[in-house]
Amino acid sequence: MELFEAIKNRRSIRRYKADPVDDKKINAILEAGRWAPSWGNTQCWRFIVVRDAKVRAKLADTLAKIKLPDKEIPNPGANAVNTVPVVIVVCAEIGKSGTKPGPGGGGGGYVTDKGDWFMFDTALAVQNMVLAAHAQGLGTVIIGLFDAAAAEKVINIPKGYRIVTLFPVGVPDQEGKAPPRKELSEIVIKDKFGQ
Amino acid sequence: MDVFEAIRNRRSIRHYKTDPIDDKKIQAVLEAAHWAPSWGNLQCWRFILVRDPETKSEVAGTLTKVKVDNEWVENAAALSIKQAPVLIVICAEKCQAGFSADGTPVTDKGEYWFMFDIALAVENLVLAAHAMGLGTVIVGGFDAAKVAKILDVPQGYTVVTMTPLGVPDHKGQVSPRKQLNEVLFEDKYGK
Repeated sequence: MELFEAIKNRRSIRRYKADPVDDKKINAILEAGRWAPSWGNTQCWRFIVVRDAKVRAKLADTLAKIKLPDKEIPNPGANAVNTVPVVIVVCAEIGKSGTKPGPGGGGGGYVTDKGDWFMFDTALAVQNMVLAAHAQGLGTVIIGLFDAAAAEKVINIPKGYRIVTLFPVGVPDQEGKAPPRKELSEIVIKDKFGQ
Repeated sequence: MDVFEAIRNRRSIRHYKTDPIDDKKIQAVLEAAHWAPSWGNLQCWRFILVRDPETKSEVAGTLTKVKVDNEWVENAAALSIKQAPVLIVICAEKCQAGFSADGTPVTDKGEYWFMFDIALAVENLVLAAHAMGLGTVIVGGFDAAKVAKILDVPQGYTVVTMTPLGVPDHKGQVSPRKQLNEVLFEDKYGK
């Protein structure tokens, strides 16, 4: 698929078919993630491909419920995680990105006021992955609102690593809506802010 | 250009020609960035297009120096910023991504979800540039407070990253990637 088409037509998909997904397509998604750039090429990302239905169900339980004025309803993302054949969990090694070079790349102390850049680098990889999924006819939705500590226990994440996000990968059962974007003039500033 | 081709062949470009670039290409690059998904569709990103050579030099001066053979030298990206006709500085509106409507962070990542959302947009941006024959290099090592002052960035926003945008003057090196099996596990970590 042509790049601009993929970028403009990718949607967050919340309803999926339970159809299986070819391993080759999952591999192509992971390869796309691996080719993202990263701070000093530190590649702090780690990907966990979860197919096991029990593990997926436990992950789904860590998603925040949606609070309505009179009741709580399950997050649509939880349904998605339970329906799709594959969930990709993205975690990061802490203390690498955003640091001065050290032995083995990175680890020599943080350089900027943002501290660890793991959120940034994992997102570069995640964007490649959601584009690669869409280009192969697969849907995704990036989930950030979940109990990361609980999810880390489910997946056995060791010390020194943190879960950043997870996303279902599956055959879409809906078209997906384009949420409205701000006008470009609202977010592009020429030369200096306020001009 | 095909998605996978763009992802696979994009490189960080550190040497640029001074050739001007078409406004339409700049617009296309920014639109691509803007089509990224974001937390609650909050689109916390703001892009500052810097073309003025003096301002570009001032911003280049905020980059962290690097130590080569025990000597502190200018970051290669500082020269890139001066060479390329356009510098895109990306800021984030704070207290949006990862916050509830009442203004409290809702995850263990605290206020830092802007780093995630900005990077989703930046990846689209660098891919789009590459697809149009333009080079970029994502720069993170600089004094963000100084850049905010130079560019009059108001309170409530933070400068996250920047990239020159221009015609590449070299091919760009492939940084070796870890093997997929070094970064990939099945079902649980370590498996």
